[in-house]
This record gives sequence, C-alpha cells and structure tokens, in this order.
Amino acid sequence: MVEAFTPAVCGSRSRRRVALALFALGALVASAALGATLGLFGSLIGTRPALIAAAVLALMTALREAGLIRLAIPQSRRQVPERWSQEWPLPAWSAGYGAGLGLGFLTFQPVATFWVACAAALALGRPALAAACFALYGAGRAFMAVWPLRRQPDGPAAVESLVGRAGLMGRVNAAVLLLVVLLLAVAPAAGAAVTSLGHGFDPAADGKTLARARMSSGNVEVVVVPPAPDPPVPVSNADAPALDGDLLAYADDEGIKVIDWRTGDPVRDIDGAVSEPALDWPLLAYVKDEGSSTRLVLANLANATTRRIASVSSAGDLGRPSLHGGRLAWHRIMRGGSTICVLNLATNDRRVIRKTKIWVEANPSVTGRRIIWVEQRPQASYLRLRWLGSSRTRTLTRVKGRATFLWTTALTGRTAYVTKWTPSTRKSVLLRVTF
Amino acid sequence: MRRPDELFDGAARALSARLASGMTRRSFLGRMGGAVLAATGGAAVAAAVRPEKSEAFHFCGHIWTTGSCPNPLGLPRIDKNGFPLRPSDGHPIDNLGRAVNSGGWAVDGSGKRLRGPDGELLPRAPRTRLCEEWTHEHYGLDSHMQGAWYRCCGGQIRKLVDCCSPSKKRINGDASLTGYCWGGKRVFCVLYYDSGLKC
Repeated sequence: MVEAFTPAVCGSRSRRRVALALFALGALVASAALGATLGLFGSLIGTRPALIAAAVLALMTALREAGLIRLAIPQSRRQVPERWSQEWPLPAWSAGYGAGLGLGFLTFQPVATFWVACAAALALGRPALAAACFALYGAGRAFMAVWPLRRQPDGPAAVESLVGRAGLMGRVNAAVLLLVVLLLAVAPAAGAAVTSLGHGFDPAADGKTLARARMSSGNVEVVVVPPAPDPPVPVSNADAPALDGDLLAYADDEGIKVIDWRTGDPVRDIDGAVSEPALDWPLLAYVKDEGSSTRLVLANLANATTRRIASVSSAGDLGRPSLHGGRLAWHRIMRGGSTICVLNLATNDRRVIRKTKIWVEANPSVTGRRIIWVEQRPQASYLRLRWLGSSRTRTLTRVKGRATFLWTTALTGRTAYVTKWTPSTRKSVLLRVTF
Repeated sequence: MRRPDELFDGAARALSARLASGMTRRSFLGRMGGAVLAATGGAAVAAAVRPEKSEAFHFCGHIWTTGSCPNPLGLPRIDKNGFPLRPSDGHPIDNLGRAVNSGGWAVDGSGKRLRGPDGELLPRAPRTRLCEEWTHEHYGLDSHMQGAWYRCCGGQIRKLVDCCSPSKKRINGDASLTGYCWGGKRVFCVLYYDSGLKC
C-alpha cells in the first residue's frame, strides 16, 4: 500500500495527498461500520460470554505472537486489486483500497490482533462506542500508508525498512495482547452493557417479551413487545404492567385486570383501591390502599385466597412488588429509612436484602436466583444486583447528578431493565442492562 | 431612671457574665448556649457574641479544620433537631436533597408535590438526622450532637455544632480532638444551625 501512494503512481504530489485522504476516509468509514455491526450484534447476545471469549482469544493470540504456539487465523490471503489503480479514477480506487483494508478480513493478516478487536467489539455490545473504537483501526491502517515514507520517499525501500522490524513488532504486539487479557479480566461488572430502548417506564419482562407503560395523549397505556416478528400489542388506560407468559396484569381506574395480552381476553379482575400488580400465575401480588395504611397482599387466583405480607402507614410506601421463581420482593420506605425484603414462598423465609436509614432502596425485581433494585442517593442513583444467598452487591449501572434518576425495574435471566427519568420534564426512557 | 427594657437587658447581661465567669468558656457555651438563647431572647447572647466577621474554612463561623458531617447537598445545615436543611435558604429537605413540605413529601418550587412519569404522586424519601443517623451509617459510629459555639454570620447568629463520637479519628482521617464534646467523646464532624437572631 505504501508503494501505491507515491507521486509516480498517483500522478503528482497533490494527487497523492488527495488519494491518501480518500484512502484514510475509506478506511475509517469501513472500520467504523464494521465496529458498529459487531457492537450491534453483541448487544443482542450475552455480554459476559463474549467478554470471556475475547479474553481467551487475546491470550491465545498473545502466545501465538510470542511464537509459543501455532494458531491459524482466519484471513483472506489477498491484497487489494492492483488493477483498480490502473482502471479506476483516483478517488474511487483510493477510497476502495481504504475500505478494503478498513474491513480487515478481506486481505492478508500479518497478526491476529484484528480478531481480538472483533471479539472485544462484540463484548462491548454498544454499536456507537464499538464504531468509534474500530475507527482507530482504520486510522492505523491509513497511518501505515503514510508514516514509512516520512524519511524514505522511495516506496520499496520504505517497505524493506518496515519488514526489517517485523520481529520487534511481533514482540510488542504480544505484550499489548497480554495487557488486553489483563484489562478484559478486570473489566468492571464483567461488561454490563446498557442500551436505551426508548420512551417508557415501569418495565415488566418475561423471557424475550417486554412490557412497558408510557404516556399517550395524556393517558397511560401499556405496550407489550414480543420477540420479532410478532407486532407490539398496546393496551390503553393501563398502568404498572406485570407479565407472566401470555398473561398481563395491569392497574386501571377500577383496580387490577389480568388478561391474555395476545387475544385481549379477560382472565381475572380485582376491583377496589388496588394497584402495582406482580404476576406469577396463579399468584398475584398487589398493593392495597386501606386509607390509614397500605398493605402488600399475595393472592392465589386459583383458589381465591389472600395473604397479607407487609404493611406501612399511609405516610410510607410499599412500591411495586416483584413475584417470580417462588419469591416475592418489595420495598418499604418510611421517614426513618428504607428496606428491600424478599420472601421465599415455599419456606416462608423472609430476608432483608438491604436496609438503610439514609438512602432510598426501592423497586426490586427478583428471579429465582437474583435480585436487582435501585439505590437512590443525593448525587447519583445506582442499579444494584445481588445473587440470592450472597451478601455481595454489584452495581450494574448508575446515573450521576440530581436531574435524572433510576426508578422502576424488571429482571429476566441475565437481563435487567430500569426506568431512567427526569422529574423536571417527567420524561422517561427504558434502559436494558445485560450482565 | 432607666427604662424597664434597659433594666431587663442589664440584668440578663449581668447574669450571663456571672454564669460565664463560674465555668470555662468552652463548657459554658457548649452546655448552656441553647438555654441562654431561649431565656434572654437573644439580647445577652448578642452582647456576648462579637459581631465580627468570622473566618471560615468551609463555611462561615467554622474557624477550625474538622470537616462537615455527611449531608445531602454539600453543606451540613440542620434544623434545631439535627434534620437536614437546604443550605441556601434553610428549607427542609429530605435525604435525597429534595425540598419537602411539612408532611415530608417532596415538592417543587411552587410547593406542589412531585409526580412520577405516570402522573402519580411520588412517595416520601427518608429524612434522618445528619449526626445520629447519617454519620452512624456512613462510619459505623455512635455519634451525637454535643458541644456548640456561636458566631455572627450574615447578620444572624449561627450555632456551630460538634457531632461527637468515641472515634479517635475525625472525618478528615486524622486525629480527633475533644473540642466541645463531653463524656469521653471527640469531635468527628461539624454541622451548623442558623438561628435567625440578629447580631
């Protein structure tokens, strides 16, 4: 490539500069596009497995670069088509060369680092950030088309000079890859990738199906979004959704309704001053306003029995309970502090997950193995995660400042959802956090 | 003949001076400050507190180096019971730093209760004392407000309070001093209360 961008090939020094600029542009755009694609794909798969794979790949390629193991790497043993520079106009072939090299896998690969970068972009799971990082790869390729000629204007001589340093570059590359292994191993939260899903609040999730509430023409409605290709299903005049398979529970002006969201058929109604449903059929948990107090109730809709779980005075708050995997979680916020509690329905074992007199611990979501909740402090709010049975707490994401807060949550498998909202504008978005 | 109010002021001033001379200045101010303020209506205390501008390390009146107690908005302003207030205007705030009404509900600038994205009223957040609860939870200390001293700040009397604990280290990380604490406790951090009394 160094030999392609000489005045002799390009026609003049000024044309050479134009060609280099277009080459660089092509390389940047192509590599950024590749990074964005990998990041987008990574956001759809598990982040943690991709991180582990990237770290393992980095270690193996480091050993390969150091000459300790033999490892074949996928590559196309081609070079850019020379005939392009003879048959195409300068802008076309120079940009085309840049794009071809910027994509990486279309030409010969002297080192395996490119594939480690691809794995890391997958693990990142964020298209924009992966595009920005991968654009550096394109910048590097453009740089190598210019740098060798800074002292040696003769193209072949410049290439010979580079080849003489191949051993040193290999050792440096091995050291860098070992550093990459270290960085991937200590990556905070092992890659909790955060993706914005657009407007909405009060998420509810079951597998790949997500429900959210949102404002529509001044009223609250619920939208259930199943996996593609099924279309979203809106439910008007509905709030605080809870999902369990094909069943959706929501609150409206009359109380709580449970429907089959695919068909719209009603399943159960609970009338009265009840709200904040949590559904794990046939169990339904909800909050009941009894005037001077608020009570958390667990109902069995199959045998019409109810059970009182917790209560607070009207000055307190029990929030939005979560019911899944044989566990019921809720918060309790009073003037003197806040608490996150989990009840094991099988054993009736009640545990306090978090208790504080100064922060707001709120809006838990639970599965059979994990629990998440939001911790609000004056300067920031945090989405916390804990494995049930462990005392260690991780932070999946956080929002700094006083203007915007994290709020209600949902949890399914290794995917958490959280509302991020701004009180001054009352605008809210849903975030998906994979861990 | 002196006017009745002048007689009263003179008696209160003399009483304060006699009490002060019988104890150390530190212990007198620490233990009696609140009672003096209430009993004399501020006149005697105003005379005892020089209306000078006090040098401050990080807030007016605080001329020592002990750091502020943990607080929602950066300055440890409290009401008379130790609950947090907004430093700029003394409005009650909750532990998240939001202005609250008399019922403890978060309100906006016009006094209306805050609502969530669904339009429903937001629940209350905890509102707890900076010394007894905040310091205790942050640092695991048995802490209590004890000693106090007074300065004239912004034309009104400010009461600076020691949050005292058994810890031999103060919030700064270095050795703590007894200050105005008693019962074996030492100064861990400081807070302040603006009385509104003119000086």
